[in-house]
Amino acid sequence: MDTNDKGVRKIVDMITGFARSNSLFMLAYGTGCGDIEIPPAMTSRYDWERFGYRKMATPRQADVLLISGYLATKTLKRVIRSYEQMQEPKYVVAFGSCTINGGMYWDSYNTIKMLDHYIPVDVYINGCMPRPEAVMSGLFDLQEQIKKGEANGAQKYRENLEWYRGNQKKVIKNWVMPEYNW
Amino acid sequence: MTTENNNLEREEAVVVALKATFPDLTARVKRIRRVEASVSKALTPSVLVHAKNVLGYKALSHISCVDWIEDEHFELVYILWNPDEKIQLLIKTLISRENATMENIDTIWRQANTYQREMREMFGIEFPGFVGAKEFLLEDWDDMPPMRRDFDTKEFVKEAFFLRPGREDAKDVRDTIAKRSKEEIPEFAKKYSREK
Repeated sequence: MDTNDKGVRKIVDMITGFARSNSLFMLAYGTGCGDIEIPPAMTSRYDWERFGYRKMATPRQADVLLISGYLATKTLKRVIRSYEQMQEPKYVVAFGSCTINGGMYWDSYNTIKMLDHYIPVDVYINGCMPRPEAVMSGLFDLQEQIKKGEANGAQKYRENLEWYRGNQKKVIKNWVMPEYNW
Repeated sequence: MTTENNNLEREEAVVVALKATFPDLTARVKRIRRVEASVSKALTPSVLVHAKNVLGYKALSHISCVDWIEDEHFELVYILWNPDEKIQLLIKTLISRENATMENIDTIWRQANTYQREMREMFGIEFPGFVGAKEFLLEDWDDMPPMRRDFDTKEFVKEAFFLRPGREDAKDVRDTIAKRSKEEIPEFAKKYSREK
């Protein structure tokens, strides 16, 4: 968090935080079964567009990467690639117990168990599957974090890139992706 | 054709027709609309061609593989479907588990290509002369084929991935509820308990 000379948060940061938190664009990329909860959340039943959430077509236009469910190692490669293409500010919301500890795939040979070892996660939403209310509650938490300037996953990723890369390369053996250059 | 029809004449006729051409094969009616035949490995392609061209089993629904690790062989099951007679024919064949190879049949049915790719990746069965994309579902896999029964999934997971601590705390649900409500667990149910 940037502070001014009196140790208080800059006003301009508070304004940008407020603005950012109220127009979250999500990458429309469903990784697992959890993506089935998104259509009811974004359509008329729960209508999350009233909170400023929208789905975006490309990673370069998106602010939030929603990881909806289990990640096969093959999918993880695409997720990392998408995450690195996103422009800052960027946030990751992981939902479903699969992203937290593997969920029902905890002894599967081809799915990762702890997502925060591969990309930084700002908000975890528990459940298998979380209902749209839970998903929206998680996004409210993310909004609060952004307003307070605490959602700094991208910064964490930049600073600990070697550790993340090490973990990623442990799973993705044939690493043919370009270097991360912000 | 109704489900009450327990007359197996059409199924018996398939068994007779198969045995007439291939005396070595053992075939039996499993139930209505399902016939099963066990064939030797060498004979399998000719039985498949015969079933397709002569008996009318035009569609290959699936090729499935069973790992009989105790008997040291794989069992391949070719599931064929006759759309006119509405009869399913299972052709089973045993192949050795060591250096498992099988005849490539994607010249008979093109869709066999996909199933053979899957078997190559998941069980390590080789198909000489078979051209297909190398990877099917797994990417950069360099361990033992994962569907083989001697592949220790749990050990692999422990090595390859990070496991969040705390899962070992998982308690037996039945025991927890019984303890909470001071309930007696019946004697026969105690052997299923996870609490030692």
